[in-house]
Amino acid sequence: MNFTNLQIQVEDLPNVEGVTLKPIAKSYLKIIALNSLALYSLILGALYGLKHLVKEDGFQDNFWYVFLGVLVICIINFIISVLAFKKRKYAVRGHDVIYAKGLIVHSVTTVPISRIQHVEESRSWLARHFGLSTLKIFTAGEAGSDLSIKGLPHIEAKGINDFISAEVNGNS
Amino acid sequence: MEIADFSQPIRQSIKGIIVIFAFNVITFVKKFFILFIAFGVSVLRSKSIGNVTPTMMLMAVIGILLIILIIAILKYLNFKFHLSEDDFHLATGIINKDNTIIPKSKIQNVYIKQNFLQQIINVVSVKIETAGDKKSEIEISALDRPTALLLKQKLFHKTSEVNENVEAIGRSEEPEVFFKVTTKRLLLEGLSQNHFKSFLLIISFAFGLYNELKDFLEELELEQHLEGIGEFNEATFYNLIITNVIIVIGVVLISFLFSIVKTFIINFNLEVVEHQKTIEINKGLFNKVSLSLTPSRIQNLVITTNRVKQYFGLHTLAVKQAMVNVKQQKNFNIVALEKEQLNHLVNKLISNYNEEESEKAKPRPYFMRISTLEMLVFGVVLNGLSLGIFGIEMLWINAAFLPLAALYVYFAYKKAYYKISENFVTIGSGVIDTTTNILEIHKIQSIKLKQTIFQRPRDIASIVISTASKSVTIPYISKSEAILIYNFLLFKVESQDRDWM
Repeated sequence: MNFTNLQIQVEDLPNVEGVTLKPIAKSYLKIIALNSLALYSLILGALYGLKHLVKEDGFQDNFWYVFLGVLVICIINFIISVLAFKKRKYAVRGHDVIYAKGLIVHSVTTVPISRIQHVEESRSWLARHFGLSTLKIFTAGEAGSDLSIKGLPHIEAKGINDFISAEVNGNS
Repeated sequence: MEIADFSQPIRQSIKGIIVIFAFNVITFVKKFFILFIAFGVSVLRSKSIGNVTPTMMLMAVIGILLIILIIAILKYLNFKFHLSEDDFHLATGIINKDNTIIPKSKIQNVYIKQNFLQQIINVVSVKIETAGDKKSEIEISALDRPTALLLKQKLFHKTSEVNENVEAIGRSEEPEVFFKVTTKRLLLEGLSQNHFKSFLLIISFAFGLYNELKDFLEELELEQHLEGIGEFNEATFYNLIITNVIIVIGVVLISFLFSIVKTFIINFNLEVVEHQKTIEINKGLFNKVSLSLTPSRIQNLVITTNRVKQYFGLHTLAVKQAMVNVKQQKNFNIVALEKEQLNHLVNKLISNYNEEESEKAKPRPYFMRISTLEMLVFGVVLNGLSLGIFGIEMLWINAAFLPLAALYVYFAYKKAYYKISENFVTIGSGVIDTTTNILEIHKIQSIKLKQTIFQRPRDIASIVISTASKSVTIPYISKSEAILIYNFLLFKVESQDRDWM
């Protein structure tokens, strides 16, 4: 059958674009901010430490340029990750799980529930403080086809986890 | 050894001790290789270190070998397997006892392998693989061939069928050797391989060598040969060209030889045997392997050929299954197939596949822009390197590079296409090679729509389709079409209640 012949039928199919994706919990932005700030301060701190260790003139003269360069990169990185936060969205349909993310490379991944091998809900120390958790969905595919939805409200993650588990067990 | 029925726990063939012993010795030597050398040399040089004499060394070596032998025997004694209704059971371990149970339905594949030693003592090893992680691989390292074949057959047959089929196995299923590679075709296969990579590698190596040996080469007899042909004052010029040509020819020959030898060793006596439902591949010179392909386990098919190979009618069929062992994947290649044989096999492995079923669709011309960009980056690096190493004269390399880059972009776009039919996705790609990727829609594990920030204004997106063995990409198509495909594939996967394995 020709693919273009399918067009009419295809348009009647459930459309992934029509799905209203739900943004992840706002408080996850705080975790992102805390994590990246910790990382930046570590990098900048190490750089500053080098200033006291390396006594070569070439390094000492250009130190502040290097430092500023790294700082600017950190700030740009931070802005991008804050903007990208808005792109992190998810949805659970009757037959699949959808997760969208990414500012520069935006991707929308869908995993049919019938292909899920198992689900896992994990919570880091920081996430527990904000009442969040990460939902990990494993398929039999390559590592690339596994989903990891970060920053879900704990109760919701639990709900989705239960729902998928029930579906997966019911099917097999 | 008489053929066992596998219902009681049995050991492998007694020759297994030799195989286990040899294997352990090799791993031991590998681990302590450097220590050995260092120790051995110093002992030989000074006759003794402390109180250690060569005789004592010998004793120590024999002692270690004895210990390994005892371990091998113990391992052999403690290695028992049997089959129950639905499962394969294996008990191993000298001190820590392990009991492994694999349900027959979860077995991905069973190979029969024979390495050099096993060929000599005439046993085979049976390897059982599941889709799980590496630990779940099981190898029985020494069985005689009939037992191994029977075991394999029993592992593949579901319990319900076994009772009826066991009787029938011997006679009704007359396997037919569908394809047997000839030496000539293997030779052609080796010759027509994509030598570009090995060629580049060897040529850069040769260039470095040439620079080192320049003075030496100039004094070679070549100069004298040339004196007769060219004029004397142009001798050096010709000299340079001739040596260059010789080097290039040498490199080409070496890379050809390399590919041919490699092809021969891996694919020696390649044989495809057709069974009722499965296909069996036998091949290998030093490492003989025999493996079965079951259609339901296959995730992707990849067909590779190139211009030269097409001329000779050579196609390679790679069968991708869900498994962890990447090294093993290479064994699932069937080389040097004729077009009709290829089509036959593809049809056997995935039923109802029809190449003409639907129209080819092309990616957007944006594809070429990306390829050009890739080449541009490559060109900048190339120019930078040649400028840095050889100086300004090396810029002539662009005379060769630019047409090649243009050809690259042209062919990459020309060969890129995708086809989506009722049950299959077919994706074509390649530059020098022509690669065709086929997958069955119901084996899809996940689908991803990808769009970079630069593609958004142009309404272009890519689709990544993952199966349990491989991800393939439909690159740079219009967003609206991508969404249609996305919805269609999802609908297909979710509406059919078909298992992926």
